[in-house]
Amino acid sequence: MPLDFLYVLRHATSMLRRAAIVGAAALTACASSEPKGYVTVTLAGSALGAEGTVVTTQAARFEQLNPGVHVVIQRTPDDASQRHQLFVQWLNAHVGQPDILQIDVVWTPEFAAAGWILPLTRWHPDVSDLFPGVVAGDRWAGTLYALPWWTDIGMLYWRTDLLQHAPTSMHAMADALRRAHAVGTPRDGLVWQGARYEGLVTVFVEFLGAFGGAIMDDSGRVVVDAPQSIAALTFMRDLLRDGLVPRDAMTWHEEESRFAFQNGDALLMRNWPYAYALMSDTSASKIAGHFAAAPMPGGPGGSPTATLGGQQLAINALSPHPDAAYRLIAYLTAPAQMLERARIAGTLPPRKSLYDQPALDSALPMGVAVARAVLEHATPRPVTPIYSQLSDLLQVQLHRALTGQAEPSRALRVAAAQMNALVDRTHVRELAHGRDSAAAAASR
Amino acid sequence: MKEQRTAWLLVAPALGSILLIAMFPLGWTIWESLHQHDLRMPWLGRPFVGLSNYATVAGDARFWGAIGHTAFFAFASILLELALGLVLALAMNRTFRGRGVVRAAVLLPWAIPTVVAALLSRFMFESPWGVVDVLLTRAGLVDKPVVWLAGAQIAWVPLILADVWKTTPFVALLLLAGLQNIDRELYEAASIDGASAWWQLRRITLPLLKPAIVVALIFRTLDAFRVFDLVYVLTGGGPGTSTEPIALYTFNTLLQNLEFGYGAALSVVVFAATFGLAMVYIRWVGGVAPGEAAAR
Repeated sequence: MPLDFLYVLRHATSMLRRAAIVGAAALTACASSEPKGYVTVTLAGSALGAEGTVVTTQAARFEQLNPGVHVVIQRTPDDASQRHQLFVQWLNAHVGQPDILQIDVVWTPEFAAAGWILPLTRWHPDVSDLFPGVVAGDRWAGTLYALPWWTDIGMLYWRTDLLQHAPTSMHAMADALRRAHAVGTPRDGLVWQGARYEGLVTVFVEFLGAFGGAIMDDSGRVVVDAPQSIAALTFMRDLLRDGLVPRDAMTWHEEESRFAFQNGDALLMRNWPYAYALMSDTSASKIAGHFAAAPMPGGPGGSPTATLGGQQLAINALSPHPDAAYRLIAYLTAPAQMLERARIAGTLPPRKSLYDQPALDSALPMGVAVARAVLEHATPRPVTPIYSQLSDLLQVQLHRALTGQAEPSRALRVAAAQMNALVDRTHVRELAHGRDSAAAAASR
Repeated sequence: MKEQRTAWLLVAPALGSILLIAMFPLGWTIWESLHQHDLRMPWLGRPFVGLSNYATVAGDARFWGAIGHTAFFAFASILLELALGLVLALAMNRTFRGRGVVRAAVLLPWAIPTVVAALLSRFMFESPWGVVDVLLTRAGLVDKPVVWLAGAQIAWVPLILADVWKTTPFVALLLLAGLQNIDRELYEAASIDGASAWWQLRRITLPLLKPAIVVALIFRTLDAFRVFDLVYVLTGGGPGTSTEPIALYTFNTLLQNLEFGYGAALSVVVFAATFGLAMVYIRWVGGVAPGEAAAR
């Protein structure tokens, strides 16, 4: 029954928290009874399938190279929002384990502002080879808090058997969709991630960039109700209204759109790089060999935009072994390990120099040229500790506008008002200048 | 005097556990609701803010929307469940071959966990490849697949149907128990006097079934008011927040956004509303059928 479920959930989480404290205490006790110089480092992250294989292999190799360090891989939910919830509860309970957290690119400022993860400056990491856009998301108030493990990037998949080339502007894309719609095949035009979740915001950011809009300006004000933003959302709404994007897509996540596209039911698809290898598999995909990937089109008013995602590694502020933890992070993010990861799990490495290596070209299913073309347009989402809450408010209004419950202009004005109220209430703009000034502002 | 002290001593463990299990969490939630406490913003601390969370609730459009959705869902689903449940109960109350099998079969949906039932409905109503759309298109009833889950109004159809499918057996069972309490001689006497079946249903069955109907109503209203898992799985409260019930909104605030202060305030309001509803019903039952309700 409904309430029981909620009740169980609430209880389960509090029990988990207690178990985590006890567990951490036990682990710390173990660590202190270990022979001198022998430490255990725990890494919590998604370790499913091929990803799990890579991280276990690499951890074993790290142990051989670092006698005295034992690595434990702790599996956490694959679903990002569940993992986020779990981490926040652990960190609130002040546990020292896991030492290393695999965090999404948009969580870094949140965890850093909360004081849950350590600044990495004392180890002087070399970030010159990493993509600047990625590193920007790993900094908070000018300090580096995490290192990128792999990069994700939004891209446009198109059918090479139905189109001559990838659309070069939003209006050219709409024209191509309209022509296919007139013919009636394939069934759907463009498919995307339209359900009310973070995926919808990542899609919106790409349309926003094409029209020259933004969610937040440099001073930290939400500007999602600017004319360019309204134009972008109106354009998206019109695609749905004209049947160029199926209305079903407003309930879809990554996999539903991939199924539609790989069954040959769509002309275009917005998705992440993971889909490339899966759709090239002739045993499951009807369009293997008949598709390619490109950046989402840019213009009018803006430029091609690719929403930046990806996973970072950060150190728990209460970790008893931060030095060993950092050594593991440095090892996992070194070029050789990133290359191996690309080969086995198909993830994009965030290191510039690797893109000149033929080894990466053969490791990536889509090839280096396409990856580099899209990465050139990588755009981070707003770097702020309250990103998740802001995104939540935006998701509701985007979904309302795209399912015909509100005009785009009205929806975005409501979203901007709510989001700016949250920005003011939480004093995040002061927080960017340090915790003390935010605390001062909060107590005023 | 001494006896009285012994009595207190004897009930102390029970009272203590009730205090610990029921009153303490409730008190803690109320205390929490008087604070601004956001797990994800430790820099704001946990200041005491008095009733300001409740003031925010009062002006929160999403909250009032959620209350409206909950009330609508409760009304529509219970109405259908009572009507269908009565038909099923009347059918099951007759004597016929294989009655035991039929009764067991009717109960089947009730035995399926709600999350599973919700997932089943989601697969059925997922357009365009869900079985509902495929059947409707094949039968020629619609030109193109209906998009069930992305329309603000039409999304209620799968939600309410799923709830009706799952819960009607429960209502039918309660009503069947009520039917079996009715003295058969009343019908015999009525038949001898020449009363039609319709008259018997209106003048004998329904009035005597009233206590059972009220009990079913209480259970279903309180359940529907707390509806969570069905919506969570089927629509996630969407599109937008157009099908979000109050329990899901509270869940999102408390466990998704980890706003403990505001979430606690929402929980207290929901608790007060459910409690008030239960009180009204209990008084009503007391008036309708003294002793009857307690027997069930």
